Amino acid sequence: MAIVNMKKMHLLGLKREKATILRALQKTGVVEVINIVEEAAVEDIEQAGEVQKNYVNQELNRELQELETKLAELNFGIDFLKPYVKSTNPLIHGKPSIKKDELSEILSKESSILDNLQAVFDLDKQLSQLKTEETRLIGQIEMLSPWRALDIPLEELGKTRKTVFEAAVMPRKSRAELDRIITEEGLLAEIATLGESQDDVYTLVVYHKEHKENMEKLFKEFSVNLQDFSNFEGTPKELIKAAEKRIEDIEVERGTIKEKSKELSDNLRYFQILYDYYTVEKDRKSAFLKVTDTDKAFSMQAWLPEEHEELVKSTVSKVTDTVYMEFSAPTDEDDMPVLLSNAKLVEPFEVITELYSLPDPRGLDPNLYMAPFFFMFFGMMLSDAGYGIIMSLLAGYALFRFKLAGSGKKFTAMLFLCGISTVIWGAIFGGWFGDLIRVKPMWINPLDNPLSVLILSFVMGVVQIYVGIILNAYKNIRAGKVADALMDQGLWLVLLTGLLMFVMPELVQLGKYMAIVGAVGLILTQGRSQTSIIKKFTSGVLSLYDITGYLSDVLSYSRLLALGLTTGVIATVINTMAKTVSGSIIGYIVMALIIIGGHVFNLAINVLGAFVHSSRLQYIEFFGKFYDSGGRAFDPLKVKTSYVDLEDF
Amino acid sequence: MSLTLGQVLALFGAALAVCLPGIGSSRGVGMVGESASGLITEDPGKFGQALILQALPGTQGIYGFLAGFLTIQKIGLLAGNLVDLTPAQGWLIFVACMPITIVGFISALYQGRVAAASIGIVSKRPEEVAKGITFAAMVETYAVLALLATILMLFGINI
Repeated sequence: MAIVNMKKMHLLGLKREKATILRALQKTGVVEVINIVEEAAVEDIEQAGEVQKNYVNQELNRELQELETKLAELNFGIDFLKPYVKSTNPLIHGKPSIKKDELSEILSKESSILDNLQAVFDLDKQLSQLKTEETRLIGQIEMLSPWRALDIPLEELGKTRKTVFEAAVMPRKSRAELDRIITEEGLLAEIATLGESQDDVYTLVVYHKEHKENMEKLFKEFSVNLQDFSNFEGTPKELIKAAEKRIEDIEVERGTIKEKSKELSDNLRYFQILYDYYTVEKDRKSAFLKVTDTDKAFSMQAWLPEEHEELVKSTVSKVTDTVYMEFSAPTDEDDMPVLLSNAKLVEPFEVITELYSLPDPRGLDPNLYMAPFFFMFFGMMLSDAGYGIIMSLLAGYALFRFKLAGSGKKFTAMLFLCGISTVIWGAIFGGWFGDLIRVKPMWINPLDNPLSVLILSFVMGVVQIYVGIILNAYKNIRAGKVADALMDQGLWLVLLTGLLMFVMPELVQLGKYMAIVGAVGLILTQGRSQTSIIKKFTSGVLSLYDITGYLSDVLSYSRLLALGLTTGVIATVINTMAKTVSGSIIGYIVMALIIIGGHVFNLAINVLGAFVHSSRLQYIEFFGKFYDSGGRAFDPLKVKTSYVDLEDF
Repeated sequence: MSLTLGQVLALFGAALAVCLPGIGSSRGVGMVGESASGLITEDPGKFGQALILQALPGTQGIYGFLAGFLTIQKIGLLAGNLVDLTPAQGWLIFVACMPITIVGFISALYQGRVAAASIGIVSKRPEEVAKGITFAAMVETYAVLALLATILMLFGINI
């Protein structure tokens, strides 16, 4: 019940059986292969075998890369076909399991499946080509539509023997000016308006070749833009019509592609199965890279939980006889991975620690000690029985209905448990959807007597801080440093207890002596690592400054009251607002809406708050006292699939 | 009904307690939203995590509202019969509103900055989002304490 003890496995086997052995190990899913290649490579760098080994690794890397490409392609095919298949949600129904025969059947017709994947790629390519074409046509229509009134085929614009025809866009105010100047100067030119937009006029300008220079000057002066239609043939109207026709055709073609995709959609399942199959293979091949080879044999090291030693032994000996295995306890230099194992009720709270950081492999698993506090704090911060019931029901439903796994499952279970705690605290404080349902509180309503609840918060804080200090002492004792435990943690406990006794009048005298003993003890012992007498003394005195740290830690627990009040008061506000609109039928409907919407909002925001602040109290106030973090999660080689369960492979 | 100076002061305090933390929170939430939108264009799947970060600086506005509500409840405005407050009582209530007014406003801004920076964690290492949330929660502590101070003061004033 804590951090699982790991064992290191050394395995020597025949090279030709490497794949079989690793496959068997992968099926057990309890072995994490240690990368020993790098270390070995440095030692062997001068040796002749190096070239050979590099070659092997290159080969492996190439294979892995091929697998990656294949997986990426399959993934693409899956994404492409997914919209065409009404698939069941694996969260609700779980993954379908694939029998061995079915898998080998699929593998035997792999090439035809991959042909279909190629077909999917072709369809996608066609789709994107159509998309490009469509964008171009839309742009063309946009460009041409102001010129709709121009009934000359565009290729005929330009020069005739004596005249020039130009399509020109000009600012609205330039138009009149141009007309005026043309008549004033007697230029042989004519401007015909074809269309207008907000600021511009679209025109056809016809002028005599003799006046080309004058006209070009005027164009510049009045910022007239000549439109270039050199790539078009036909009148704008015809062109737009053709483009629109083509866009319609494109839509039809899309429909055909969709039909074709639907026909291919049977392949989705095959793609998924192949994807999972190759993912598993890739994982195993990656493990190959961590194993060292000689000519005929290979050697590997791996971590496994102590309890699975027998399982691994029997699994491996089932597939081969020519193998040597040795299991040893980790040495001081080893960096073993961390796997936690806790009681059913504590396990959901592991997610809180995982979100912070896993414990050091030689440290203490904090979950057993943290869980009860988190449970209580969360409930006290949410502190509304109605909300607790809703939360537990939702989480319970999710646990029951959905096939959750890993931290998602732990998190949901954590919410379920905390919902129960919330119901208890809600009953204690008399909060049932705020004051919607009036039930007499089992203890007090924090709004009537906030000070009592504040004191309770501090008491809970003190308890947790004491537990933290004691755990630190336990850690010292376990490491054989009993004296350190007595001096560093024991004396602090004496001092803090003494100070706490000042709160109760009948214990003040005793408390005074305890505090003095503790303080003097600390002054004398806390500088013991220093060399000179003066330094020993000053460090000792300065250590008493930590008292402010403990004080602020305790005060930090006042958030238990504050967040509890927030939930209750906002719920009351919602109810008050709802009551003001009641009276008529519409009023009652609005009232119901306010009550439902308001409480959903309040629940959501306060669950977030309660989770964040309960976690914070663990991370800062509690873990700060004793916890050594920094562990690496146990990541065994296993059959990890996304879409289907491969029963046997 | 003639208003007394005390009533005006108390209401003024309540109004400030709602307004300033509300402004701070909306700015904080807005800041996180801006960073989050950038992230969502790249990876819409991280909406949930980003939303949690965005919600964090929003609590100060709620705390301020809470303080304002408790104040107007205390002076009887909600029940419809405003208590005659002496100027001294009015000042007391006004002062009681100040902790959450000031701390709520400023801490929401800072919390918004921390949360906006934590969007970077979501984008690069989404599995570590809890640490970003914790950083932001560190800032909120002081808003919680200020709210607590305001509430305790309000409850302590006899009218």
